[in-house]
Amino acid sequence: MVDVFSELMESPQAIMNHTLDKAFEFAPERIRKFQDHWVIKRFAELRPRVAMLGKLAKEQGIETIACADDAVPLMLSHTVYKSYPLSYLENSRFDKLTKWLSGLTVTDLSGVDGAAIESIDDWIDELEVKSGLLVTHTSGTTGKLSFLPWTKEQTRNTCALYSRVWRDFNGAYTGPDMAKGNLALITPSYRNGAGMAQRMARLRIEMFTDGNEDNILFLYPEERLSADVMSLSGRIRAAEAKGELGALKIPEALLRRRDEYIAREKARPLAMSRFFQEVQSRFAGRDVWIGAMYGMFYDWAVEGLNQGHRHIFSPNSFATIGGGKKGRQLPEGWREKIAEFLGFPVTNDIYAMSECTVPSALCAEGKYHFPPMAVPYLLDPKTGALLPRKDGSVGRLALFDVMPDTYWAGFVSGDEVIAGGWEKPCRCGRTGFYVDASIRRYSEKEGGDDKVLCAGAPEAHDSAIAFLTGYAQ
Amino acid sequence: MSNNLMTVPLIIRGKLIENYELEFGGRNGGVVFTAPDVSKYVSELTLSAPSKLADLYSLKFAEIADYLAELGERLVFERNEYMQAAFELGRSTSGLSESLLRERFDLMPRMFSREEAYHTAERSCGLDFLEGWVDQTGSRQPGTSGFVRAFGARAVHIIAGNVPEVSAITVLRNAITRSDGIIKTPSNDPLTAAAFARTMIEMAPDHPLSKHISVAYWKGGDESVEQAIYDPRRIEKIIAWGGFNSIKHITRYLQPGIDLVTLDPKLSSTIIGKEAFVDKDTLASVARRLALDIGYFNQEACNSARVVYVESGTDEEGVARCARLGELTFEALQNLPENVSTPHKDFDRELKEEIDNVRMLDDDYTVYGGRGSEGAIIVSHEAEPVDFSRRLTCRVANLVPIDDLDTAIRSVNAYTQTIGIYPEGLKHELRDRLAFQGAQRLVSLGGASLLKGGTQRQDGIETVRRMCRWIVDETGDSAYLENYANSEPVAENV
Repeated sequence: MVDVFSELMESPQAIMNHTLDKAFEFAPERIRKFQDHWVIKRFAELRPRVAMLGKLAKEQGIETIACADDAVPLMLSHTVYKSYPLSYLENSRFDKLTKWLSGLTVTDLSGVDGAAIESIDDWIDELEVKSGLLVTHTSGTTGKLSFLPWTKEQTRNTCALYSRVWRDFNGAYTGPDMAKGNLALITPSYRNGAGMAQRMARLRIEMFTDGNEDNILFLYPEERLSADVMSLSGRIRAAEAKGELGALKIPEALLRRRDEYIAREKARPLAMSRFFQEVQSRFAGRDVWIGAMYGMFYDWAVEGLNQGHRHIFSPNSFATIGGGKKGRQLPEGWREKIAEFLGFPVTNDIYAMSECTVPSALCAEGKYHFPPMAVPYLLDPKTGALLPRKDGSVGRLALFDVMPDTYWAGFVSGDEVIAGGWEKPCRCGRTGFYVDASIRRYSEKEGGDDKVLCAGAPEAHDSAIAFLTGYAQ
Repeated sequence: MSNNLMTVPLIIRGKLIENYELEFGGRNGGVVFTAPDVSKYVSELTLSAPSKLADLYSLKFAEIADYLAELGERLVFERNEYMQAAFELGRSTSGLSESLLRERFDLMPRMFSREEAYHTAERSCGLDFLEGWVDQTGSRQPGTSGFVRAFGARAVHIIAGNVPEVSAITVLRNAITRSDGIIKTPSNDPLTAAAFARTMIEMAPDHPLSKHISVAYWKGGDESVEQAIYDPRRIEKIIAWGGFNSIKHITRYLQPGIDLVTLDPKLSSTIIGKEAFVDKDTLASVARRLALDIGYFNQEACNSARVVYVESGTDEEGVARCARLGELTFEALQNLPENVSTPHKDFDRELKEEIDNVRMLDDDYTVYGGRGSEGAIIVSHEAEPVDFSRRLTCRVANLVPIDDLDTAIRSVNAYTQTIGIYPEGLKHELRDRLAFQGAQRLVSLGGASLLKGGTQRQDGIETVRRMCRWIVDETGDSAYLENYANSEPVAENV
């Protein structure tokens, strides 16, 4: 018999040689051993090579660590991936943005000519061509985009890992298996761009289909989710929420391209009706995979049901919900409404963060289980000190993702969680760390400054374009 | 005593309501307090008819000043259990640390002196206008005359709780304008206004001034209260301090007949001219005065300095000069006396993360302090403030080197309140241009919180004048008027 554990001690990627249910069967001592081993190793390898980690370690006076817990003072804030000064974007200083990013990764960015670039989209493309880095950006709901320095290989691994979660979480091969290649892929969003959804969607086509366009549908098949427009949109929302719209600065480069953006967006209402028609004519009754955010699913279901469509797809289909609710409150019965429209239940709940390539999944007991590749820490929300590993403790979640080997993947989330699985395994039988489904953001809990609503990318685009249209030059 | 501490009574025109039914959480420290359910009292909370303000007009201003002076005597902390209770609760709910809060409570009674009442009336409105009809005749129309008087109004005051003086000044203004005031207290200072009202009731239960002040706590945005009282038949004015969200709630109820006076959430900044660098002693003195503008009230106030533009130049030498000022300012901040400024008792967690992030960006920023709750000075290396400049608090300021004062002037906008300036000559030189941009108040460096100026115009927004209803009485010559009813009107009318 193959010993999964010894393989994982050689490489955490080895989990892909097995079904993922194995990741939830290790005894607690083995999980500890695996996690200590990899956090120590990552620190030793990355400290001299990731400038930001080197500085932080120096600042904290840490040269070596002896166990995973020693890395607590070295956890980065989840905001570190957006710690660049906004003036870099406002003044098109992509040379500086490149330098900033190079401080977060071992990937060599010296071939990237940032000085000649004037938009984020171009910068991301240039990085892909010149360094192989497949930078992924977040939706920037609080005003700034995070840029994650993932390599192409890491992005592929992440995509594969998610498919294993869906397939194996409730037992090996019990769930939908994308790798079989029999599912049509429907994405009610943009096909192009460097947002997480766009990156993953294109990889899924590459990895899980034969590339036949008959099996692929996007809401916007040609268009790109523009990081520049998303960035502006996030800042408009943040400024609106604080009543500071009058203080907003617009990058010159964006203003120069204003007409181009506006023209592109004008064509969009047509896309929506075309999308609905194509879903109906090409995909009704078929086995499909659909990936979107809560809000998007809900809006789509409401619109579809209003037009008299229900039970559109085959019951063998499945859907994944991502992106969190981002502050949006859906009305009672939203899940049923979505199921009625789609024709199958939406149950594949995942709790994940863009800063961590390892997702967790929800068990029947209402707990999100993280596989051992995500090393969990529970921190005191005020002091940042490590809290004892006691089941039922409430604190701020920090994770160390042992999968990537090109950047320091230890970060403190903005989420308050109730932790478990340290003393006793979950009633569902899985071993290892879990958090209760009652997750909340500290910023929401404190009730104040982060009430920025994000209803999803297209709406964000709309608001940014409306603002640009009305912006006096 | 501890039971007593956690209750916040409802006071309606001299009547104390202690039916503590609802539980609320304080903003800092997670303190819970109980208060009556205001929605059950909305029908009596507002003054039923504006004519009921008449009793206030039986008072001469001298009597108002006497009343306030006596109130001030009774507010002395050591002798007043309500003030003590407000302080006790404030220790948990306020953003000010204990030594600073205590200083505020010790100083507040002086705000009620007779001189202060006259001075406030004179400077913030005009005593004549409050006391009677003032002749404003000046028309070219023959035989006409005009008189103006400032009357009180029925007003709801949605006050801020960052410093307890906001409660004091509201009580004071309500009295001198002869208004009927309902003070809606904030969760970070739920009890200070009530302490004043209870002292007033004890002192003179039937006095019109005691009978025209109400104090209530409800959660901002509670429709069961706000829908009922924000009605032009029941109030004439809403005076809303700070908090974009609280102002957003209120805008739903605005309609003709309700006058909203907003004291918008504002931020303040500083401009330091190149003269600061003439010699070592001057630089040290500038650093000490800057530390005062940053540290006073623990940077909880809207007039606290946050972004500091420094005319040091942005070349390597210039940035080094600016950094030297930053270093000295950080030291001065640490040396401020305990009754002026202390490390913040509840340091902003997200701000701490931002500081940790910029500390790593040593090409772009130099950071002094910011490791615990001691405060920090972040020196930018280019002429750009940090992205989180609008959330600087807890004694964290950002020094921004500039080549040219225009950069500083352009940064001023409708969200700017006070600008501290060094040297004096620069203030004079820049003041018109800063005013065009949106600045409200210009002060000598170090005086942002300390100077009260005696102008009593609250950052130039004329709160007291706007609390009043300005009534005009015009008299015309009958023959002149009647002439218009005849065939050939006189063409000289304007």
